[in-house]
Order: sequence, then C-alpha cells, then structure tokens
Amino acid sequence: MTFPHLHVASAFSGHYGVTRPELLAEATAARGGTHAAVTDRNGLYGAVKHIGACLKLGLTPIIGVSLNILSDDGNKLARCVILAHGSDGGLGWSALCQIVSKANQTKQKEAGIKLSELGTLATRDSLAVATVLLGPDSDFGNAVLAEDRVTAAASLVAWRKALPHRGSLAVEITTHLTEPGTPYSMVQARRMLQLADNLGIPAVLTNSVRYLEPDDALTADVLDAARHLEPLGEFTPQPNAQAWLKPQRLMEKLAEEITEEKARAKKLLDTTHKLAEACSLNPEKDCDWGKPKTPEKALLGIDGNPFEVLWQKAHAAINWRYPNAREKKLLEVKHRLSKELITINQLGFATYFLTVADVAQMIRDMRIRIAARGSGAGSLTNYLLGISGVDPIDHDLLFERFLSTERSSLPDIDIDVESARRHDIYRAIFKRYGSQRVTLLSMQSTYRGRGAMRDSGLALGLDDEEIDDIAKNMWRFSARSFRAATETKPELAKFSKALEADRKMNLLVDITERLDRLPRHISMHPCGVILGDGNLLNLTPIEPSGMGLPMSQFDKDDMDPMGMLKLDVLGVRMQSAMAYAIREIEKTTKQHIELDEIPKDDPATFELIRTTNTLGIFQIESPGQRELTGKHQPTEFNDLTIQISLFRPGPMKGNMIAPYLDGRHGFAKPEYLHPDLKPILQETFGVVIFHEHVLRIFDKMTGCGLAKADEFRRSLEDPRVAQSVERFFKTQATNRGYDRQTIEKVWEILASFSSFGFCKAHGAAFALPTYQSAWLKTHFPTEFIAGLLTHDPGMYPRRLLLAEARRLGVNLLPIDVNHSKDEFLVQQLPHSPAFGVRMALTDVKGISEAEVQRIIEHQPYESIADFYLRAKPSRKTLNNLALVGALDELAQASGHHRGDVMQRVKELNLLKTRPKEDPNQTSFVFDLKEQLPRTEDLSKEEKLQAELEILKMDVTEHQIEQFRPMLDAMGVVHSNELVSLRNKSDVLIAGVRVATQTPPMRSGKRVVFLSLDDGHGTADATFFDEAQERTSGILFNTRLLLIAGKTRRTGVNGVSIMAENAWSLRELWSQWLNQQKAG
Amino acid sequence: MNQINEPVAMVVNGNGEPIGFKWRGSNFLVANKPTRWFARRQWWKEAARVQRGIGVDVIEVEMWRLLASDLAKHTCLQYELLHSVNSNDWRLVLVYP
Repeated sequence: MTFPHLHVASAFSGHYGVTRPELLAEATAARGGTHAAVTDRNGLYGAVKHIGACLKLGLTPIIGVSLNILSDDGNKLARCVILAHGSDGGLGWSALCQIVSKANQTKQKEAGIKLSELGTLATRDSLAVATVLLGPDSDFGNAVLAEDRVTAAASLVAWRKALPHRGSLAVEITTHLTEPGTPYSMVQARRMLQLADNLGIPAVLTNSVRYLEPDDALTADVLDAARHLEPLGEFTPQPNAQAWLKPQRLMEKLAEEITEEKARAKKLLDTTHKLAEACSLNPEKDCDWGKPKTPEKALLGIDGNPFEVLWQKAHAAINWRYPNAREKKLLEVKHRLSKELITINQLGFATYFLTVADVAQMIRDMRIRIAARGSGAGSLTNYLLGISGVDPIDHDLLFERFLSTERSSLPDIDIDVESARRHDIYRAIFKRYGSQRVTLLSMQSTYRGRGAMRDSGLALGLDDEEIDDIAKNMWRFSARSFRAATETKPELAKFSKALEADRKMNLLVDITERLDRLPRHISMHPCGVILGDGNLLNLTPIEPSGMGLPMSQFDKDDMDPMGMLKLDVLGVRMQSAMAYAIREIEKTTKQHIELDEIPKDDPATFELIRTTNTLGIFQIESPGQRELTGKHQPTEFNDLTIQISLFRPGPMKGNMIAPYLDGRHGFAKPEYLHPDLKPILQETFGVVIFHEHVLRIFDKMTGCGLAKADEFRRSLEDPRVAQSVERFFKTQATNRGYDRQTIEKVWEILASFSSFGFCKAHGAAFALPTYQSAWLKTHFPTEFIAGLLTHDPGMYPRRLLLAEARRLGVNLLPIDVNHSKDEFLVQQLPHSPAFGVRMALTDVKGISEAEVQRIIEHQPYESIADFYLRAKPSRKTLNNLALVGALDELAQASGHHRGDVMQRVKELNLLKTRPKEDPNQTSFVFDLKEQLPRTEDLSKEEKLQAELEILKMDVTEHQIEQFRPMLDAMGVVHSNELVSLRNKSDVLIAGVRVATQTPPMRSGKRVVFLSLDDGHGTADATFFDEAQERTSGILFNTRLLLIAGKTRRTGVNGVSIMAENAWSLRELWSQWLNQQKAG
Repeated sequence: MNQINEPVAMVVNGNGEPIGFKWRGSNFLVANKPTRWFARRQWWKEAARVQRGIGVDVIEVEMWRLLASDLAKHTCLQYELLHSVNSNDWRLVLVYP
C-alpha cells in the first residue's frame, strides 16, 4: 500500500481547499495509490464526487470531515478530522452524516460540535464507528507547542476520556516544516508523537492537505483572503506552501525526520495504513450508493405491489383524460400506456412515479396551479397521473426521449408551480412525508468572471471602484482566459494598457485566472427537493437553508450517484399571475375558470397572438419572439410549440427558422429527402427541429427502436462514438433498401442538427402556459393585467404593462388610500358597472411594508388628518401619496383638488410630533371634518412627472400624450398603424424606449435594435452603421425618442423600421414650443 | 540579532545540509545539526507575475538555522541562511545575537 493521505480538503471546502476531488483522486491513482480520502471543512460537500471518482479509478474511498470541536461551554477545543469507518453496514457513514448535521445545527458563524456530543455520535454499542484525529490545531497541540508537558498530557487524557472506545481517537502527526517554535513545526510533531506513545494512543501521519501541488498554495492564499474578507497582509497567512499532496517518498522522509528512528517511523506509517483500512468505504453497502430511494409505500397510501397500483391508477385516469374517445383512440392510448408501464416496471421506477403523482395531487389539493416542464411531458403516464397537462399522443411526443431501458438513471420530472406559493409547497411536502424523509437540495456556485475578479481584487487590497470598473467589462469570456482577453477585447484596451505598467493589475489577472471555476459558496437550490425514505438523514448530512428548512449538503450532480429522488418544483411567476387573474375573475364575475380544461383551439386567442401584441404572454413577448410571431402567424397549438422551440439558441444557430417559414408560407417547396420521412417532418415542412424528429428518423431508417434511437441521438455529440453510430446507421439503412444518396443526405442532417435541436415535449409543456396566458389576455384583459402587475412575470417594466392595458381599453384606477391594497385588485369603477385595475400601494417609492400594512388595516379614512393620525405614514410617504393623488378622493367631496391636498400635507408635515389619537381631543388642526386650504392645482405635467418619479409608471395617461400637439403636427404614425403601410414608406414614430439590444452578428458589424412604446403598441427600429453614427449622442441613453425611417415588412403582421435618424423628444418639444410662441 | 542580506558560498553534504560556508572573506564551519524550515514570501508585495504554474519560489523559501564557528576569529554564533532552491543561491540573512 502506498501512503494514504487521510486529511485532505478538496475545493468543496469553501474558501479553503484548492483542488477538485476528481483531480486529487486522479493524482492518487497515477501514483499507484489504493486509498484516497476527502475530509472537507464543515461538511461532506465533495464526498459524493470523491466517491464517484474513486469508483471510476478503482480506488478505495475514505470520507471524513474537518470540524470545530467545542467544550461543553462552547469554547473551541480543536479543529479535528473525523473519519467514518467503512464496510460496517453503513454505521460509520450514518454516524458521520449525523455528526455533520449536528455540527451545522448551530447559531454560531461556523459549524461546530461539542466533544461530549461527538463522543456519543461516534460510537455505537460501545464500538467506535468513526475515528477522531487530534492534530496540531488543538488545545493539546497548543500545550505541546508551549512546551507545557503537564497541560498537554492532561488534555490528551481528557480527549481519551471523551472518546474512550478502541479506535475512536488517534493523534494526528503533521508537520509542514514551519519555523521552529511555531505550529506544524517538526518539533511540535515529534513531541506530540512522544506524548501519544506515552499514553498508548495510536498516532497517524497526515499532511493536512489543501492542494495538489505546491504551486497551488498561492491560490490558497487568495481563498484565505476571501474567507477572512480581508486583504493579504492584514491577517496571518498560511506559513508556507507545504500543505500539498506529497508523494510516498516525501511522507516517508517526514516520518523518519519526526521519529528520528526507522522502526518508529515504520510503525507510524503502519498505523496510518491500518486506519485507512478501517475507514475503507464500501459505497454500495455503506452509502446505499446508486440504489433508488423513495418514500415508504404506506406514506403514499399504497399497500401491495406498487406497480399494480400504478397500473390501476393510470388506467383509471383514461376516462378522465379521454372522456369522449372512440374505440380506436382508446386502443391507441392503452397500447402506448402498456408500453410505458412495461419500461417503468423493468426499471423499478413505479414507486417513483407514484411519489411524484402524490406530490402533484397534494399541490393541486392546495389549489395551486401546476404544470410539467421538460421531457416528462412526453410521457402518457405523467399525463394520466396528472403530473403533466399536455397530451403526448395529440402532440406527437415520445416517451423514449424521457425514459428508456437503455438508461437506468432516475428520470427528471420537473414541475412548475405558482412562484408565490413555492415555499408553501416545500413546507407541505415536509409535513406530508415527515422531516426525516425530506430535505431541500443545495447548489454549489462556482467562481466565474466577475466574482473571481472581485475576490481577487479584495485579496490584493485594490480599490472597490477600480475593480467594479474592470469587472463591468468582463463580458462573454471566462476568467480562465482573462489575460488573452485583455489582448483582444476592445473594451479592455484601457486595462490592457494599464497592465504594462501596473504590477498589481498583473497580479489581479493572474489570480483571477486561478480562481475561475472553483466552488464559491453553497446555497439553496432554486427548486430542488429531495424525497427519500425514513433513512434519508442517515445518508445525507443537512444544514439550515436561507428559508429555514434543512437542505442537504449534496448538490444535483450527487443525486443520481446516491440514488436520491430529486423533484424540481420550480416557481413560475406567470403561473402566479394566471392564478391571480382567475381569482379576480371569480371575484368580479362569479365565474369559475378551469384554465387547464379550456379548449386549445380558440380562434380569438390565436387572432390576438397574430396581431403580435403579445406583451405579457408567456414565452413570446420578447422583441425577437414578437417579430417571429409576425412572420409565423400561428393558428393552432402545435404552432406555439414549434415557435417556442425555434426561438432557442440551438435552432437559431442551426439556421432552422428561415427554411421552416419559407416552407410554411409556400415560398419554398418542402424537401422531405424520402417519402418515408414525410409523415415525420410534415409538421415542420421538412426541417429537422425536434429531438423527436431525430429519434423517428433513426427508427424509421434503421429499425433500431425509439429507445435505442435516443441513445444514438445522445451519442452524436461525442465524436468518438458518433463514428460507430454513423456506421450503424448507414449499414442498416442500406439493408433496409434506402439509396446511397438519401442515406448520405439524411446522415449529414442528423449529424449536424442533433446538437441544435430542441426537445418537443419541453416546447409543448411551455406552449401550454403560453396559450393559457394568451387566452386570459384575450377574454379577461382587466383581470389578466391585474395578475401581471401583481406578480410581474415578464421582462418589461410595469409602465409598459400600463400602456398595454390602455391599448386594450382596460380601465386603470389611481392609487387611493381608501381603495388600494398591497396587490393590484380589480375593482368596480365609481358610478359605473365597469371594472378596472386599482394601482397597489406597494409601488410608491420608499414606502415600507409596515406602512402598507398599517394603511390597509385602518381603511377607510374620513379625511387627510384622519389618515395622518391612524395610518401614521412617514413624512416622505405622506408627501409621495399626496403627489400621486392617493389622497385626492378625500378632498374631492368638498370640492378640493390636489394643490389643496399638497398644501394640507405640508401643514401636517410641519408638525414636530404626531398627536396621540384621542377622540375627545378636538383641535382645529385635527378636526376630522377638516377645512382644506384653497390654492392653485398642480398642472397636468406636474402630476404626470410625479407619477413617473414616485411610481415609475404613468397611470393617468401615457407620457407620450404630453407631446401630442407636436406629434400630430408632425404627422407621427402610431405603432399599430405601421402594419397597414406599404413597404418602404417614410415614417416618423415617437415613444418611450423599452428595450435596446445589440446581438452579435455573423458579419461582426454591430446592429442596434430599439423598441419604442407609444401607447398603441410597440414599434421596433433597426439602426445600421450610418444611422448609428448619425444618432450616436442619443442612441443608447435618451428615453423619449422620435425616430425617422422606412418601413420594412418582415411578415404578414410583421413590420419594423429601418431607422435613418433619431432625436430626443424633449429637445424637439422645447424647440417646437418656442416656434409656436414666435409663430 | 543583526539583519544581513549578503550572498555566501555554501558547501553542503549529501543530504543537502550545510556544512560550511564562506562569507566576507572568512570561512565558517557548521557546528551542530542544522534546522531547516520553510518560510513564506509576501508575493503580493514583491512578485511581478503569479500565474498558474509559476512555481513555488514566489511564495515559499527554504531557511536554515545553524551554529557555525568562524575559523579565523574562533567565535561560534547562530546564523540564519536563505536558500533559493531553483538557483541554488545562498544568502546570509541573520546573525544572533
């Protein structure tokens, strides 16, 4: 056996370790090692990756943790490594998990466990199941260093007393060859060994490793700075660069130097070997490696065979999902279901499906909207179990893309829920299955460009602003190639110049490159929940998460190796917005809408989509999708699936959009390559877009079956395997009688398009909320806008939603202290049967949550003074509320206007203290039937300005309206009129900038896309070189613009403007006003 | 304790341990088993570049503490020497007392 390193921090020891576990294991294997340990700080963060790497390399894995050990009164006694014993049926592993979980259950900044608790958890039935290594960083080590033999011996005795069982304690001998008299020096190690020998406690040799090579010590310095949050030089740094994974030869030499005696050195190494043997994990038996784990049957309400239950459940749902199906259709459904169930049974995943179905049912019972996403929508079983809402038969989706016997990894079923209820769902899952079976998933974020640079700057003590300045320009390149980037990227030219003269800047570049890709910190995964059986917490350590519920220290990559069931419950704001709209519809119309049951072929909905007024509609509201909508003109649900799938990086890079549109509009004759492929590719006019297409083509031409076809599709991306796939494809296709030319052509498309394609099931799953939101926008615009404003699901600012609301004829009701709440409610208009959206209090600049709650709690108010006394707003909030007209209604009854309100608010705000609320007290100032002063009202412009300033929204009217006389005089066109103009007409448009994009172009030339909102919709203008030069002063920063250009048709309902020039509206306005005066 | 920073010509044994050196024209003979350790450098103050793979010399330096007798003056003092491993340069940095 070569020397086994038993104390090794991997890069998953946050801000401490430098080397990823895979690299450490590879180095050990390359040296002919047999055992490899990872002992991360405060957790088992790198454990699963380490075990996986060991199994791959044929090494025996050892896992431990490095923890602070505390006395009973909470003082730090030591930082110790605790190693789990192995091959003991999982006793060691589960003890380690529990020790780590316990240590992290602390209010202190860093994890820690009391020695007494450690003693209890590290033994089982008076037998040690873990070994604690007492090293130099301890009360014992400190006493040895102070040459206080009595104290040293006493503390060692105390440790043995706390860990009395054979094998539960070993002294860790480590030297980093530091200066004599300091920690980790040779003399300290020697004396520690002598004392251990005197008391008969076994001693082992480690090198307390933090990095693979000495060169990495420099990276460790930078991580130390990040951990201390202080620049280098401000704290005590590591003593030298000795904490690396030293080879056998050097470790033996250290042993000899420490012991100064060959025989004792040999014994030290032997004891180390023996401990490594005791800690050798058998991943399958100790950690339940790779075995799928689900909640116990009883918890899912099952007795008997889970597969039979699944079979019955799915079949029982056929009537629900296909109520009026004919015999032929039912046969098709049953046939497909049988095929899916056979696969599920073969893989042993029945309980898994039942679990997900149980969670989905629970969510629905909570009356929370739920939808599937991803390839799971391709499964009929999921559709029947209510996990997915898309019919895979209707939409031609394939189960094999989701699950097949060719792969045995647990499938990913991702579900989308209302974002606002996500945490409620987590809590409900914990409650339903019990906290011993559920934890949240964690996520390791890694250093990337800017983060790496910021922490590097901190380590060097560079000025924050300076760092931010450079960090801002770190776009589209990885920190790893930072130096190369400084030489080629124009935006870093200034910095590149500085590099020539500035030493610190050079260091900054070098250490930024070193930090790149290292784990940075752990946090709660945005949507993952782990569901296991009653043994879950014996298999994974947990720690508190940001939201209070415990989370596993394992991340998503660890789930499959550990056989853990991960459920992605993703919060989607659009789902919240739609749920909100439905609630408001029910409130105002008493009409209950079952959104998942509405027919998916409503002509009015598609008509609305085709106008390209898609603002607020899921997935298709961006400028690019709007343009595509204009060209594409969808008429049915499948069109939405195709459109969503086309507008993705893959299909865009693969240049699939243009040929598809040409085929659809009859500009080009679809090319099917072979009559056999026509049924497969008809929906996309011969263009291979979906993974499902690739699967079907493979299957059709080779007869390999869809499951195998998906394996082929996956391996196409690997050039080594692709060759053998190519051989298989060509031989089989030839055998089946296809001609050479067809085979060559099809193969070319398969090979090149595979990495560009998109999973149709995923597109179809997304198309459902797209259709649903479009339907709501079509039929219930007021309630839908209220939902959008409340849950803000889209990419645009709220004020653009208001513009859209006005365009749709939705009434907007101003903020009012008597009627506004913390949500955008649908309310009846005063003196009218019509409804409108009431602006919420939450959007007032600077208003606190407590103020909002107080205002709501004390509604209604009789007067301004009454509001002032009971709602107790701050001066600023009172002023802001008055300015945006929230107090107008209180004054209107007595015939007063906002100017008077402002005057009254000024009086109130002058009072030094707010008088106590006292009904008996009557003073002039607080007479509830107050007399308002008479002053001049605010001008229309002032009111609009206040709204924009305080609410960031123009509620009373579109801000463009203030320029109306000038715009009309100039003949400015409304954006909704563009579509009726001839191609290449000269036009002027005016509006508020809502989006500016400069996508990278193949030619390398920059094109600027600018979207303006003018209250009638959104107009998109394109600026090429010349126009960019002409308008350089305002192109990127002026908000209100007038653009001159020519119309350019892009499709039936698609028009954009080729800009020729642009001006600031405000400047034009003041010139125009002057002219009017002069005129 | 005198801080010095001057090159010396060093003679070492088979294990790389110093046995004698020449400094300011005098010859010194090592009189005990010398102690070696590794000290660190403040690279952030000194180094021009620290890119990956630059080597351990920017961060670490080998130090020796030993007793040596000045063969001419017949004095025996404690010395600290710095050894640059790559270039094999030796510098005397401290003399006690």
